Amino acid sequence: MAMLELKDVTISYKNVPAVQNVNLSLEEGEICSIVGESGSGKTTVIRAVLGLLAGGGKVTKGDILFDGETLLTRSGEEWRKLRGTKISMIFQDSGAMMNPTRKIGDCFVEYIRTHENISKKDAWEKGVKMLENMRLPNGDNVMRSYPFQLSGGMRQRVGIAMGMTYQPKLLLADEPTSALDVTTQAQIIRQFMELREEYGTSIIMVTHNLGVAAYMSDYIVVMKDGIIEDEGTRDYILKGTRKEYTKTLLDAVPSLGGVRYV
Amino acid sequence: MFDEKDVILEAKHITRKFPASGGRTLTACSDVSLKLYKGKTLGLVGESGCGKSTFMRFLVSLDTPTEGEIFFHGKNITQLKGEELRQNRQYIQMVFQDPSASFNPKMKIRDIICEPLMNFKRIKASEKDAVARKFLEMVDLPGEFADRYPHNMSGGQRQRVAIARAIALEPEIIVMDEATCALDVSVQKTIIELVVGLQKQKNISIGFIAHDLGLIQSFAHQIAVMYLGTIVEVLPGEEISTSAMHPYTQALLGAVFDLNMDFSKKIESIESEAPSPLDVPPGCPFQNRCDRCMEICREKRPALIDVAKGHQVACHLYT
Ligand SMILES: Nc1ncnc2c1ncn2[C@@H]1O[C@H](COP(=O)(O)OP(=O)(O)OP(=O)(O)O)[C@@H](O)[C@H]1O
Ligand SMILES: Nc1ncnc2c1ncn2[C@@H]1O[C@H](COP(=O)(O)OP(=O)(O)OP(=O)(O)O)[C@@H](O)[C@H]1O
Ligand SMILES: [Mg+2]
Ligand SMILES: [Mg+2]
Repeated sequence: MAMLELKDVTISYKNVPAVQNVNLSLEEGEICSIVGESGSGKTTVIRAVLGLLAGGGKVTKGDILFDGETLLTRSGEEWRKLRGTKISMIFQDSGAMMNPTRKIGDCFVEYIRTHENISKKDAWEKGVKMLENMRLPNGDNVMRSYPFQLSGGMRQRVGIAMGMTYQPKLLLADEPTSALDVTTQAQIIRQFMELREEYGTSIIMVTHNLGVAAYMSDYIVVMKDGIIEDEGTRDYILKGTRKEYTKTLLDAVPSLGGVRYV
Repeated sequence: MFDEKDVILEAKHITRKFPASGGRTLTACSDVSLKLYKGKTLGLVGESGCGKSTFMRFLVSLDTPTEGEIFFHGKNITQLKGEELRQNRQYIQMVFQDPSASFNPKMKIRDIICEPLMNFKRIKASEKDAVARKFLEMVDLPGEFADRYPHNMSGGQRQRVAIARAIALEPEIIVMDEATCALDVSVQKTIIELVVGLQKQKNISIGFIAHDLGLIQSFAHQIAVMYLGTIVEVLPGEEISTSAMHPYTQALLGAVFDLNMDFSKKIESIESEAPSPLDVPPGCPFQNRCDRCMEICREKRPALIDVAKGHQVACHLYT
């Protein structure tokens, strides 16, 4: 049985469909990347899985199953138990989602203590360790900082650290590394892969970096205009596809030593 | 290609220190000197947290350096105040790393795009709709988005609104801080072509922060590589993949995920601890991660020296 299954899912904002008839299935330990057009509905799809659609978004058709059970009718209490530990999410723009008036450490400690019955001091240490795993120097200083005192990529890594704290069964990552330099990105990608190897975590990763998608994924989904335009293994997407849009995307990937406009 | 008489903006010995927890000091930029040339693009790359945004924010007077000066058309802009500061804003525009944070969530996209134009009385209220639509279409968004609010858009759509707003004023300098990182590669290409087109037409100078080295080499005339608050290498854009000399620049090039890479290859990573701007070591900032580190690297900070035309490196291997 698949760990996660989206069956013919349509999602609308105020009755205007943003995503239509999406089918997707993910086994334990599988990594799937969603790539595609800006505005095609990638964030919408993974937020729907976590039951956190913004702006009045609703699943208007189809079903989303996790371990064989529907996610669409879960109560608030059930979601609280699932989120963070079983299913967790790294948001696109983690930085903008942080409360600007609270220090990182206060939020992180609170987050840890809603999932685990430990002392503030232990929670603090756990947070510091997670931050340092994300290659943030001086985890302690980061904990004592307000979001505006961190760089964009540092805020993003705080979001990644939180998302990975409890080795979730399913990790939904929305452009987790697009704000990171390439060496830091490589280290974070390695940690995603380790999470999968050690804990069998399944990952859905939204990314614009086709190199990253190709490196990490067992399966790649290409979205355009609210539907799945193309999908398949890395070899199929990179070498076998006949879809014009996928080819356009591949052709547009900037490469070192490639086209110059000036 | 870089003629000294074409220097439009020059940053001299910029240092920025922030107070940090426990009474310590964080050095975000340390003695940074860079020049922007008329009609040219300066790309800035470097590790997350190394001080790129901090530096670029000085150019739009959002922050003041602890030390150093910035000359725009020969005038020091670090001390501008009041009306002079306000006027200067129309010549240097910035697209922020976090576009959503720089929008007023209660304003419609139309007003967001037209706000700077209205502030500087470039257009009349009756022209707003047409102007907003024109710029939305330029960044590959439907004109109807003029009626939306920022939170009803995707991340990449908001990013394009921010770009539209910055180019609308036709500034002399545009600073783009990771302004295309949330765009798919096809839209990104459209935006780069648009910006490069404007640059050629209007002779605009661009400061562009990005992590995608392939992207930056596709249109930057000059690339500066930053590490732990200092500039470690400056070189012509087209040479980054062939002539990079600093071990950090080479490490960056080695970490790129490429469509032609060997996908079975294990990811290489720099094993040592990430460096901290709270305890910058004496000597070379890259010493603890450099596999060619020598005795002198722990003692003396290497100066940025000329190694070829338009190419400077700060590394003891080359002195
Ligand atoms: N709260 C909302 N209200 C109305 N429309 C929305 C809302 N959020 C998103 N949309 C629209 O739904 C579509 C899909 O948005 P989504 O954020 O899922 O795209 P995306 O694929 O993640 O794009 P990007 O790569 O730019 O982040 C877009 O056209 C967007 O304008
Ligand atoms: N207002 C502030 N107060 C304290 N520290 C700050 C402040 N702004 C930036 N810093 C610190 O300065 C350093 C440089 O930050 P900056 O935002 O310039 O990095 P960056 O190179 O743009 O990184 P990224 O690629 O992640 O955006 C970081 O260590 C950051 O925590
Ligand atoms: Mg998105
Ligand atoms: Mg930055």
